[in-house]
Amino acid sequence: MSHVLHDIEKQIINVLQSDPDLTEEKISQETKLSMDQIRRGVEWLRQKKLADVSESINISLSLGKNGLEALKNGLPERRLVTLVRDGPKTFDEIRRSLHGFDFNAAISNAKKNDWINIEKTDTGSKISLKDPDAIVPHDSELIISRLSERTIISTEFDNTPLAEPLKSLMERPDFIIADEEKTKTVSLSETGKKIDLEKLDSGAIDVEADVPHVHAARIHPLKDTINEIRDTFVHLGFTEITGNLSQSSFWNFDALFTPQDHPARELQDTFYLKGLNAKQLATPTQIKNVSSAHKKGWRYYWDIQEAKKMVLRTHTTCVTIKHLADKKPDEARIFSLGRVFRNEKLSFKHLAEFNQVEGIVVGKHITLRDLMGIQKEFYRKIGLTKVKFWPTFFPYTEPSLQSMVYNEKLGKWIELFGMGIFRPEVTKPLGITKPVLAWGGGIERIAMLKFGLDDVREFYNNNLSWLRTATKCQ
Amino acid sequence: MPVVELNISRLQKLVGKNTNKKQILDRLPFLGLDIESLGRNTVRVEYSPNRPDYSTDFGIALGLQGILGINKGMLRLNVRNHGNYEIRVDSSTSKIRPFVTGIIARNGSLDDEAVKQIINMQEDLHVGLGRKRKKSSIGIHDLDNISFPLKYTTTSRDHRFVPLNSTKESSISEILRDSEVGRDYGSILGQSSKVPLITDAKGQTISFPPIINAALTTVTTKTKNLLVEVTGIDKQAAEDMLSVVVTILQGAGFQFSQLKVSGSKNSTPNFTPRSITFDVDPVNKILGLNISGSMLVSCLKKCRLDAVTKNKKIQCTIPRYRFDIFGGMDIVEEVALGYGIENLKPAWPASAHIGEKNTTSEKLDSISRLMTGFGFMEALNSTLASEQILYEMTNRDSSQIISVTSSKSQEHTILRDSILPGLLENLSKNIHETYPQKFFESGIVFSTGSPIKETVNLACVTASEETHFSEMKAVLQSLLRIGFNTKCETKTLSNHALFSQGRVAEIVISGKAVGYIGELDSKVLENFRIRTRVVGFEIKLSGLIFD
Repeated sequence: MSHVLHDIEKQIINVLQSDPDLTEEKISQETKLSMDQIRRGVEWLRQKKLADVSESINISLSLGKNGLEALKNGLPERRLVTLVRDGPKTFDEIRRSLHGFDFNAAISNAKKNDWINIEKTDTGSKISLKDPDAIVPHDSELIISRLSERTIISTEFDNTPLAEPLKSLMERPDFIIADEEKTKTVSLSETGKKIDLEKLDSGAIDVEADVPHVHAARIHPLKDTINEIRDTFVHLGFTEITGNLSQSSFWNFDALFTPQDHPARELQDTFYLKGLNAKQLATPTQIKNVSSAHKKGWRYYWDIQEAKKMVLRTHTTCVTIKHLADKKPDEARIFSLGRVFRNEKLSFKHLAEFNQVEGIVVGKHITLRDLMGIQKEFYRKIGLTKVKFWPTFFPYTEPSLQSMVYNEKLGKWIELFGMGIFRPEVTKPLGITKPVLAWGGGIERIAMLKFGLDDVREFYNNNLSWLRTATKCQ
Repeated sequence: MPVVELNISRLQKLVGKNTNKKQILDRLPFLGLDIESLGRNTVRVEYSPNRPDYSTDFGIALGLQGILGINKGMLRLNVRNHGNYEIRVDSSTSKIRPFVTGIIARNGSLDDEAVKQIINMQEDLHVGLGRKRKKSSIGIHDLDNISFPLKYTTTSRDHRFVPLNSTKESSISEILRDSEVGRDYGSILGQSSKVPLITDAKGQTISFPPIINAALTTVTTKTKNLLVEVTGIDKQAAEDMLSVVVTILQGAGFQFSQLKVSGSKNSTPNFTPRSITFDVDPVNKILGLNISGSMLVSCLKKCRLDAVTKNKKIQCTIPRYRFDIFGGMDIVEEVALGYGIENLKPAWPASAHIGEKNTTSEKLDSISRLMTGFGFMEALNSTLASEQILYEMTNRDSSQIISVTSSKSQEHTILRDSILPGLLENLSKNIHETYPQKFFESGIVFSTGSPIKETVNLACVTASEETHFSEMKAVLQSLLRIGFNTKCETKTLSNHALFSQGRVAEIVISGKAVGYIGELDSKVLENFRIRTRVVGFEIKLSGLIFD
């Protein structure tokens, strides 16, 4: 049997024929080839059954971002102890030096190490040093200092007193990077031993061999979904309009008939811009009419100062309503797509800033069934074919529906876009006389379905390992 | 949206006619009730904030009866005028909480589940319609410990009584200071020295609205007869609230006697329905249907409204508790619900509209394609970012900072004025990935100016051992030439917080400074724990390639 061998393979065989059972590192030293070349060569030889590989796994440990930080400034709990060395301090005093996660980590670890006491006093909780003499360098600090000198194979810590502290340190985020390293011992198979390198044909290359992955630069996957949705709206005859992310409360709320004491307008739901008020609100007629619609519908004193407060838009509807109020079209298909903001606690399903799209159809003869049809067609174009509609409530549309879309992967119905006809209480004061039908919703939700993500935050982590591998054509 | 937990077999009984579980679960979404989770015999549903009657299974049962065709048309409230129940309002209340209204509910029985449902309703009404009790609030009392007539008056903060869930007397000041409800809602009363109080004919304290009832009138599962009082600063909101309570209690089997209200702008509540008259055609036109007047009447009755055809028009009668119905369009929705949303077939409207992308979106798309062509990965970051990343770690000037109030997340407190810091953070999160690493991002940045200016910037970074200034300048130069046939100059800049001294330049196009390019300062990189060299630029696109 004749073999087609790459030059790398030949060099590996050459070394192994005189010295069987070598690690890949050793082969690399002997042949002066790079580790990457050796790995590839060995893999080719193994597939051709010319070499056998026995593997053992090592986990090599090095310092991560927070580990390096701790090396420089000390672990959060060490910094905490240093802060209270000269006497007790309140939580607020400590927060000045220890922010965010560091603060929580410092408290919990210092407590675990039995370094501190927390006393509740009238002026808030105070932290004091428990036993000044007891604080010797902690095992976790020894580990960090040893890792700063060199990369260490995890087994070196096995059965030592540092094993437990290492485990808990590894559970803390970004302190220690654990890389699995496989050590491979390579030996030639019986066939391999018999190969006569002198006699091999040297012109051919092995076209069947494996090759490494290369990374393509690409448009962000969420952007792919955004672009697909934008294109779909355009295909359906909609024209894009844009507007500012910062808006007056007037266009974000008042123009949409949201009363000024409505819970959605509270600080805990909406981001207000500190100390900023709109200079130009709207035309005097628009202001007057919106104000009287509120007085009539909700029976309260409508305060223009409240309407001037600047917010980060909570929906794209502020952009569409302003467009309609200014242009008063008789017929239109327009859409607005972009970032919107909610003062939410971040979680796997909630972001403080996300993308929304909203389409508007204006027309004398347009009906609710038409709006349902446009939406069905939209979903069909982005690959969602099972759609049904349920009634729902939105403050500024009536009737209001929500669309449910069946997701094959999850095997269940998922709530996607909402839709409805703008209330006359919204349109009339702004001089819009034709029915306005609106539909839209969050884009990340659709992108999550497409990319099979169950944590929406992943879109904004910009994690290269995901960006480099997420499937482009969904 | 608020949520209520329902016991399914209990709901089946309330709906009646041997309705089975499947029928109920199938129909709930078509009342606008989203099933949030399903247990063996319980279901949690989300309901709309404009339908407080759906905060209890009694209210939901009324809706289900209609849509299932078991009981259609409006629920008639039967309030009898007998028994001499009266509450007299003292004019001193006008300055603090001017309005009171109420009802006597008799001969009912409340089991644990009913009490739970009614408490849920009360909470819902307090939070929503009552605007956290400020606008209006409810007290529900055991009638049998109360002597009439009642007095709605004010008292000083030294006044003492035994509050609900307590056995000892406290003063109003103590309640406001020491109890949870006192601390949560005390601010409604401001600094006023006089606070509202309801007392009975024997001078016993019944309630201290809007904070807490007296222990004297505690409602238990043994209670048969109730006094419901609602106080508030808006008479209509108080009566709206009462109408929901009365409707729900009627569903729970109570009978009603009038509570006369007299004095100082107050009046005895009446629960007279409203009517709206409308044409059939516009309703059909909006829905895209062609249904007859009598069909339309039947749709409305399924939604527990009354309707009759009158001279080719429809007269619809709306019970007092449906104050969510403002006008014609709300009626259209009721018709759609009665018709059944599942029976509305999607249609495809012909249209001569030609869709177009916004030019800014189009140009940004082109830039993205070019940047990926140069080998840069697109990143997406929040425009609402953290002070730490934007300013502290990058040593940048924070005097023009634009921040939001009361953010729930430390990562989102400041509007970004630059994209580069976010990209450095992205590199910092990827130090364990293979190099070279290249990112770009385009998007909105903010600056101050009447009152706030939004512009579109583009930034990019390359991180690797070998990278250098000229590599980045080459990208910038080629991007501008291929993308927009524009030339730029890079003019020496003495210093910039982000970049190394001697390796930073201002980007100038047609004599106008539009951005920065350079090698990132080693101290900044150290702050981000980046261990390779990084070069980058940021350029303002607004005013350059679009407005």
